[in-house]
Amino acid sequence: MPIYAPTLPPAPDLSLGQPPALVLMRFDFARLWRQKIGRFFGFAFLFLLLWKVARIYIDFLLQTNQTFKPMQQWANAILTQGAAFQADLLNPASYLLWFLVALVGGGLVARDTLYRVRPLMYAHPVAPKDYLLAKLGFASALPFGILLPFALLPWAMSLVLAGAHGPVWVTAPLRLLPAMAISSLLMGSLAVGASSMAATPRAGIGWVLGLVLGAGTLASMIHGLTGLKAIDGLNPVMLAEAWPQLLVGVDKPLVAWVPALLGTAFHIGLWTWVAARRTRPSEAVI
Amino acid sequence: MPLIAFENLEVRYPATPVPALKGLSLRLERGIVGLLGPNGSGKSTLLKALLGLLTPSRGSGTVLGVPLGGAEAARLRARIGYMPEYDALIEDASAYEQVAFWGELSGLAPEAARDRAHEVLYFVGLDEARYRPVSGYSTGMRQRVKLAQALVHSPELIFLDEPTNGLDPDGRRRMLDLVLRVHAELGTGVILASHLLGDVERVADQLVILDQGQIKAAGSMAGLRKALARRVELRFLDPLDAAQEAALAELGAVLEARNGLYDLELTEADPTATFRWAEAQGLTLIQLTPRHDRLDEVLLRALHPQPAGA
Repeated sequence: MPIYAPTLPPAPDLSLGQPPALVLMRFDFARLWRQKIGRFFGFAFLFLLLWKVARIYIDFLLQTNQTFKPMQQWANAILTQGAAFQADLLNPASYLLWFLVALVGGGLVARDTLYRVRPLMYAHPVAPKDYLLAKLGFASALPFGILLPFALLPWAMSLVLAGAHGPVWVTAPLRLLPAMAISSLLMGSLAVGASSMAATPRAGIGWVLGLVLGAGTLASMIHGLTGLKAIDGLNPVMLAEAWPQLLVGVDKPLVAWVPALLGTAFHIGLWTWVAARRTRPSEAVI
Repeated sequence: MPLIAFENLEVRYPATPVPALKGLSLRLERGIVGLLGPNGSGKSTLLKALLGLLTPSRGSGTVLGVPLGGAEAARLRARIGYMPEYDALIEDASAYEQVAFWGELSGLAPEAARDRAHEVLYFVGLDEARYRPVSGYSTGMRQRVKLAQALVHSPELIFLDEPTNGLDPDGRRRMLDLVLRVHAELGTGVILASHLLGDVERVADQLVILDQGQIKAAGSMAGLRKALARRVELRFLDPLDAAQEAALAELGAVLEARNGLYDLELTEADPTATFRWAEAQGLTLIQLTPRHDRLDEVLLRALHPQPAGA
């Protein structure tokens, strides 16, 4: 037998709350925190980060300790201190990151569709643009947040150990952070667009993986048939890897500037538009 | 200021030739309003329009004094609570977490929303179970979580869509008691959409009957009964001849004649006219029984009016 309160006092001031998009993002983060997939990916990305840092420390030892002098030549081979090394700071995690984005992002909109909570959100002071902004923000902030230590930790360590002459350029974050932002937005928009087309989170994961791999395969096939390298700009995985290369000035990036710009704009525009269409209030079934 | 008022309201879905709501005009005062109608009658479309989710293609209206489809629609929604018909619950979150979440979305600060979630869950009788994920809740508990999220921000008006769906008689009674408490103690206006006529009959003081996007009847419950329930049963001392039976049409529509008992829908609300008619016809009226219509008969007759003389 339920016990009821004698009465309900009035609610506090409704004007002191946070913007709806921020509330939605915080709730999605709290939801992710409860899930267990974070542990696996946490270990995986931590291992990768340690490997990056270890390479820089080894380089420091090789440079400073005479005992390791014979190994210097080998070290120079793996630590070129060139643009490719800077861009490579973000790359090894690429596929793993796409997989994480698919697992988490695939369910972002689809879970709301499955539980039918989106119409209820729109019955609150939440505009469709708030919803879209929250989902895009979360799906993009996730890869950005994971990549952030990959860009900053090796840079800080290199700076502390070897100053301006370390393997990581002093100006590397100025180039890597914008690249991360573009790649993360690409990943986020694709995940949210795919998730908006799915009715369940599992289907959303399938949609993300299907779109990523499907677009990549299609681009590779056309490239193979026509020899047109620019078509690689349709491949989201290559685009995400190409942006750090482009911004640090690698000689032969995976995708050239123009196809990268067009391909990225195409993917972000298309999947954001799809998500906006699929999450309109008129699509909400009350 | 009326709770809700609209004039010639028309709502159309894109690429649909027929409007979902066809020129509705209505004025509802603060109270508990029962919204009745079969599936596809336009109840949900009306709720969407009132929530500002659909922009009227024609006509105008206000909810709590705020114009429909205007720039203020988003802020208006902070003054409205909505309890959907279906299970719009976040299954992997506890009742406490999600009620606090809905409170924050309505504009409460995070800490205030958490405090408020405790209060409102206690109000709906979910004090002890509030930390459990809602996936393990019974239907009655789930309905109460939905009511709690609709009340968390102290709205001036709440829309309850089938609040007693799936509840046993005891659960229904408790839910309806809560609805009555919400109006009586909190002063909140209530729009209760339901197909369970008994529920509406029990709590509503105003009624709107919708069908095919049109209002078939609207007004106070008492007024509706008075207007629609004019059915009486008449019996006379001697059998009526053919001319007298034909003259019965002067009183109203004869719905049924069986073994000397005439079932009539009177033209006038005053049943004493039948005495005067009987006297004029030289007949002795020995039975005049008002048919105390139940709400389902009111609804059925509003939706399927019988032609006069049928």
